[in-house]
Amino acid sequence: MTAEEQFNQVNEGDVITGRPFTVTRDTIQAFADASLDYNPLHFDDNYMKNKFGKTSFDGVIMHGMQNFALITRTLTDWLIPRGGFHRRLETRWLKPVQLGHTITPVVTLQSKKKTDKGYWLLFDVEVNNQDGMLVAMGNAMAEFIDVIPGKR
Amino acid sequence: MTILDLDNFETDFWKDVDKRATWDQIIPGELRDTTPVTLTQEVIARYAKGVGEDNPLYFDEEYAKSTIYGGIIAPPSIHILLMFACTTTEDWMRSPGTINAGQNWSYHVPIRPGDTITMRGTALDRFIRKDRLFAVHENTFTNQHGEVVCTGRGQTIRPA
Repeated sequence: MTAEEQFNQVNEGDVITGRPFTVTRDTIQAFADASLDYNPLHFDDNYMKNKFGKTSFDGVIMHGMQNFALITRTLTDWLIPRGGFHRRLETRWLKPVQLGHTITPVVTLQSKKKTDKGYWLLFDVEVNNQDGMLVAMGNAMAEFIDVIPGKR
Repeated sequence: MTILDLDNFETDFWKDVDKRATWDQIIPGELRDTTPVTLTQEVIARYAKGVGEDNPLYFDEEYAKSTIYGGIIAPPSIHILLMFACTTTEDWMRSPGTINAGQNWSYHVPIRPGDTITMRGTALDRFIRKDRLFAVHENTFTNQHGEVVCTGRGQTIRPA
């Protein structure tokens, strides 16, 4: 299928719900071992009794970039079988995510845009916790493309 | 060329803490000290698994060949690992208490097994808002062919 044909098969308003993710000390350790981010924010209960400027946390927090990786997974698991190419992700972290919390990314295909040389998808991103509270938001872009850049 | 060794990474982020730039010492525009790293298929698979990825595109060459990618690639988010893999223990992104406020990343050429990735990173800006100390970092990652892999910008709240 050409990029144009693939572009025509997805619809504005399509909603992609990611897999729920529950934070445990094991998931934090696995993320640290994968990302090499060993900041004590994610490990040290005593350290987390401190105040951080005006902010205090109730115990260790999940890596913000774990959230980034989960949003990426939600997008790419949908895009890859459709021939789409993940191009951009912008995120803002609104609330810390703590041990025992369950977060779920929800991505909405907000619009499709044809440019001079490209077939683009524009997504809205929200991540909610188990109480329905918004912990992160952002947006993303993907492209349908006939040849992946750099492919040899 | 340095093959990234995940098993001998300094995990104590308090080490060298006094050698890292504090918010006051961060100079916008100044380059961070970086070293290129080579990513093997094993490193890519460990990264992918660790962050929760299970798409066969990152693990299964036969499946990956059937996609537009034509072979295994790294998950786009692998810059999360590269940010630490390419920098030194004296880099201020390791400072305990560094809080991530938001990020935006653009992706161009996918990373493939065997690629050697070079990081160029700066603090683009710093400011104080609502009594918090912010730094903006900006990064460009390139591969061994000189192609841009991805670029990104992020904001962190710096430990006071």
